[in-house]
Amino acid sequence: MTASAPRVARWLSVLWLAVVWVLLWGSFTLLTILGGVLVGVAVTALFRTATPPNPLPLRPVRLLALLGFVARDLVVSSYGVSFQTLRYGPRARGAILELPLLTSSDRVVAVIAGAYTLSPGTIVLQIDHVSGLWYIYVLGPRDARQIEEARTSALEMQRRVLSAFGTPDEIAEARRMLLGRRGAP
Amino acid sequence: MTRVVLDGAAAVLLLVGALQCLLGGLGVLRLPSLLSRMQAATKPQTLGLLLILAGAALRLPLDSAVTLLLVAVFQVITAPVLSQLLSRSAYRSGAVHPEILAADELADRMPREGPEPPQAP
Repeated sequence: MTASAPRVARWLSVLWLAVVWVLLWGSFTLLTILGGVLVGVAVTALFRTATPPNPLPLRPVRLLALLGFVARDLVVSSYGVSFQTLRYGPRARGAILELPLLTSSDRVVAVIAGAYTLSPGTIVLQIDHVSGLWYIYVLGPRDARQIEEARTSALEMQRRVLSAFGTPDEIAEARRMLLGRRGAP
Repeated sequence: MTRVVLDGAAAVLLLVGALQCLLGGLGVLRLPSLLSRMQAATKPQTLGLLLILAGAALRLPLDSAVTLLLVAVFQVITAPVLSQLLSRSAYRSGAVHPEILAADELADRMPREGPEPPQAP
């Protein structure tokens, strides 16, 4: 890790704040862009965040793949929820499941929980850092087979987030876990 | 010609988005529990909103359309946080009925009823 990592993180924050500022104004003029950078510098100077200990790895291709997966999942799962509504309605069932959490990084856990909860029909209920477990609610499963399918798809989401942000060890562990599940009868 | 194609695409996006929101509303009426209703209330609505924003963006001048992008980004960032907080409180306060769950692996670990134990100030 280089000494300039916190500085890079800060300039990324400034860039993000400037983009938000320009989008709020809705016009790409020199004035709004400069104003955005000024606001970004002022905000990051006034509200200093604790410097994250380790910068997350930047893997652009895998990050794009993750974004694509989440977008596709948003559409597919929306129709899943609509199907549950129309087909079962008041007789719809759900399940609360316990899953192994393969990372201890707060920020990666936040991305996993955010991505999984954004997907329709699923919610992260509880995260237990100490035991390394997370608990999810899934709308739809009615029997043991469908419960295991829901479990696999949650682990798949975890694997995809880890492959974008996780350490090599965590990625290998996530892959091994999924392979073990798919190989099981 | 381009105008016609754009208008057509905008109309399709707006209608599909509206249909998503309608299905979400229907889900709130038909689904049995708080957790399942929240799926219907927050999720198809997210996709519906994104589609409606995309449809509206096609019909607006560019500088207004980019502000809609901001609406979309913040919707996607904030919706999961809200639903996670709500559903966790619902579970804790006993609003989740075990009889409509196919499995509940959290039952032994989190007390279902009663408020959280008081924290030391």
